[in-house]
Amino acid sequence: MQIRDRNLMPVWEKIQSGERLTLEDGLRAYTSGDLIGLGAMAHAVQKEKSGDAVYFVLNQKIEPTNVCVLACKFCDFAARKGDPHAYEMTVGEILGKLTPEIREVHITGGMPPDWPWERYLEIVRSVHDRLPEADIKAFTAVEIDFFHKKFRMPVEEVLRQLQSAGLRTMPGGGAEVFSERVRRLLFNQKIGAKTWLDIHRTAHRLGIPTNSTLLYGHIETLEERLIHMIRLREVQDETGGFLTFIPLAFQPGETGIKPAHRFTSAADDLRTIALSRLMLDNIPHIKAYWVMLTEEVASVALNFGADDMDGTVGGEKIAHDAGAVSPMTLAKERIIGLIRDAGKIPVERDAYYNPLHVHQERVVGKIPYLNSVPFYARLEKRDFRILPVVPRRMGMLCALGEIDAGPFSLMDFLRQEDDMELMGWCIATRDQVKSVMLFSKEGWRDLDGRTIGITDDTATSVHLLSVLLEKKYGVHARFERLHQGVNSYDGLDAVLLIGDEALRRNKHGLDGFELVYDLAREWYEWQKLPFVFAVWALRRSLPSAVKEELSGLVKGSLESVGGDFVSVAGPHGRRIGLTDEETQEYLSGFNYSLGEREREAIEVFRRLVPAAASGAHASPPEREGR
Amino acid sequence: MTLSALCAKASAGERLSPEEGLDLLAHAELLDLAGAANEIRFRKNPEPRVTFHVDTNPNYTNVCTVDCIFCAFYRHPGEEGAYTHSVDAMIGKFRESAAKGVTTILLQGGVNPALPFAYYVELVERTVREVPGVTPHFFSTSEILGMARVAGLTVPEVLRRLWDAGLRTIPGGGAEILSDRVKKKISHLKGSSDDWLGVMREAHRMGYRTTATMMYGHLETDSEIITHLDRVRDLQDEYRGFTAFIPWSFKPGNTPLEKIIPHYATPVRYLKMIAIARIYLDNFPHIQASWFSEGKKTGQIALHFGADDFGGTLQEENVHAAARFVNKTSTEECIEMIHDAGFPAAQRNTVYDILRTYEVPSAAA
Repeated sequence: MQIRDRNLMPVWEKIQSGERLTLEDGLRAYTSGDLIGLGAMAHAVQKEKSGDAVYFVLNQKIEPTNVCVLACKFCDFAARKGDPHAYEMTVGEILGKLTPEIREVHITGGMPPDWPWERYLEIVRSVHDRLPEADIKAFTAVEIDFFHKKFRMPVEEVLRQLQSAGLRTMPGGGAEVFSERVRRLLFNQKIGAKTWLDIHRTAHRLGIPTNSTLLYGHIETLEERLIHMIRLREVQDETGGFLTFIPLAFQPGETGIKPAHRFTSAADDLRTIALSRLMLDNIPHIKAYWVMLTEEVASVALNFGADDMDGTVGGEKIAHDAGAVSPMTLAKERIIGLIRDAGKIPVERDAYYNPLHVHQERVVGKIPYLNSVPFYARLEKRDFRILPVVPRRMGMLCALGEIDAGPFSLMDFLRQEDDMELMGWCIATRDQVKSVMLFSKEGWRDLDGRTIGITDDTATSVHLLSVLLEKKYGVHARFERLHQGVNSYDGLDAVLLIGDEALRRNKHGLDGFELVYDLAREWYEWQKLPFVFAVWALRRSLPSAVKEELSGLVKGSLESVGGDFVSVAGPHGRRIGLTDEETQEYLSGFNYSLGEREREAIEVFRRLVPAAASGAHASPPEREGR
Repeated sequence: MTLSALCAKASAGERLSPEEGLDLLAHAELLDLAGAANEIRFRKNPEPRVTFHVDTNPNYTNVCTVDCIFCAFYRHPGEEGAYTHSVDAMIGKFRESAAKGVTTILLQGGVNPALPFAYYVELVERTVREVPGVTPHFFSTSEILGMARVAGLTVPEVLRRLWDAGLRTIPGGGAEILSDRVKKKISHLKGSSDDWLGVMREAHRMGYRTTATMMYGHLETDSEIITHLDRVRDLQDEYRGFTAFIPWSFKPGNTPLEKIIPHYATPVRYLKMIAIARIYLDNFPHIQASWFSEGKKTGQIALHFGADDFGGTLQEENVHAAARFVNKTSTEECIEMIHDAGFPAAQRNTVYDILRTYEVPSAAA
């Protein structure tokens, strides 16, 4: 990696050591002339988070009306009732826009003075009924606030009713720039930062993940952009509910605002993408929204920190009314082509970023936890591409034929044993693991009949828990699936967590759950065997040269790491709050090579789990939303 | 060799073998290529400035008998819309351009067998004599080969007479991809790779300065791109006659090839071409990014991928326009685009002498 600008070095050192960037760091990076150095830093962070994946979604934008009570200076879309170009769609017209392949329906629009509340609920309900497989992403915080005031309901109630009508996530629009100075000058009728952030906090608490945006390229300063990012980062620390951040390049059109330049420059666009990735260390995804960035810049941005291209965007009007020059819809094939050309894996997703289809050959799954880092740390790949995905999803994608190899959760491997071939590596414990933990209010034997919250991320840990409860302790508990992101643990007697989240909680504890059990230790004390959580496997049908190449790559990576885990996994550990010593100790506790004892442990576990769960011919699990 | 070792080798300015070039092009991360290309660019041209020139690309004829399937511009003799301008008309056009500040006239035709050799010689002579302040940058290799056929002369003889008439620089178009497999498919009448290289070699030997181009994004493979770069690099070792290398992507609109290749190559592909050219062509002083052929934003980004020249302002252009691909700029906007990309701008002439510099205004920095 080439960083030509020495001013960037302190920033890069911070990033490598897992330290958070400050406003000053941000300004230093923003004003550097070394666009490639900055981009390479952001790309390194992007790869750490997303591997080679770039997501897109088959989406339809619905703007039910352009009639709006506000008159924001930067908007060319809004109309007054009675204006010749004013329109209001009926539910029938809205449903007429939906096609069966759509996976995300994005509903936002103007705020008309005379629509009853029921009309909004009906829109959401009807879309949900028509396309139950699609996720509804609807209403910006500005609209939610409008509903709250107009219909005299608490924000929470507004969101609850929309949620039960079928709303799944919320878009991130209306944030503009979190600066009172700019708000007074450009959009004084819109809600300010506090209201916007509070509404998103409320949504997150209700289990509605949301997106976030920044409108840049008008009269705001670089400092204001960075403060905006920092405020989002703070809320994300509290809630974890933001899925993605979308920097929106301002489209001047006929809006009457005179920015410094007619359109943002390509360099400014790419810098802003890179800074977003670097500053927002806790937001999983950064979106290059091609409608506003142009297809040119958005595709390049995929190497500057962005891992999402939005989607096919049927029916977008707001940006185009303001003169956006991108084509109205970007066909799926074109999106796939752009992503591939950028050296990335085109991954079709749902609104939660669950991968649905992987449009690429030779894809290797990666478990996005600290314990898998050594496999990939020095994996010098040429034709293989890496897709980070939680274990359960990796198993599902493999069953669908979407990926070729990876460290599969043991249960997933057992289900697909006929099609898969072991590669000689695994993630096995010696005695304890520290990252598959049961946090409980009760001792094992008192969990009989109680409710345990289980992570959505893996099948093996859940089955291990089940085996321990039933076969070791002779009790039966009820499992309740937790959702991604932020969860309330109210009403649960115990919680099963895995991966980095478990590591973090193991260190700091989980309030109210005083007893902490390490499942691998429980297993070891019972069976005197290691526990194998995952095994490396690849598809039997792959050509043998491909199999050999991949084996060589993984082997090479492990060998070059040796036992020095800090050098490759130290930053990852630091990001989740571990010291280098803790990272070294944690990773030294694993056995990565699949030996006799590990094989024996697999057989013992296989005999303990119910046949139906491990059956080689079990059908792939159905897709699950929340 | 590992990819990181290859990138380090490239950054250090060591010459790459075709195998190494191909490995980088096919497998390196985009920004690793950019990093290496930038390193080389700043070692070779330490000044951050990006050059451009004020030019125009008129055509004296669109009559052509070469039938390239990637071209939407040409007409057959006698076909509707076919035209050939008189020398007087062209000189008039040139005068108008010169009055607007143009310093380079890149003139090409079709290959029109009805024109006598004297027409070309007169065009050069009268331009030099009657339009002071502009450099004639006339005639692609195909036209020069056509002149040789029409006049019954050898290529060196044609080049010598044009030189005597005052021509000193020649555009590098028509190279497409220097692979005979590809050429047979897209331009079977245009001559072989050796024809293009042969004309260029004779020209360089005589003292002409020329550019070298590449049109990619159609039927070529990565390996053929490296072959193209390799052949151009070999020739440059002989006489150092190339001033710059200029890649551009195939524009499918209105061409027969559109049926097979319906899309433009992506911006990322273009940036890779710029970077790999900078890395592989260790004996080329300049790599030209084109706002015109790839879009303004892509052109600007390319300045960070190893390019140090932004091409011309192109007052008139007809070939891309015939393929429905139109970008326009002015000298002011050209300077602003370079500034916005983060570089001082400098106006140059045809052979890259600096005429005037424009520092980045502090507000736009």
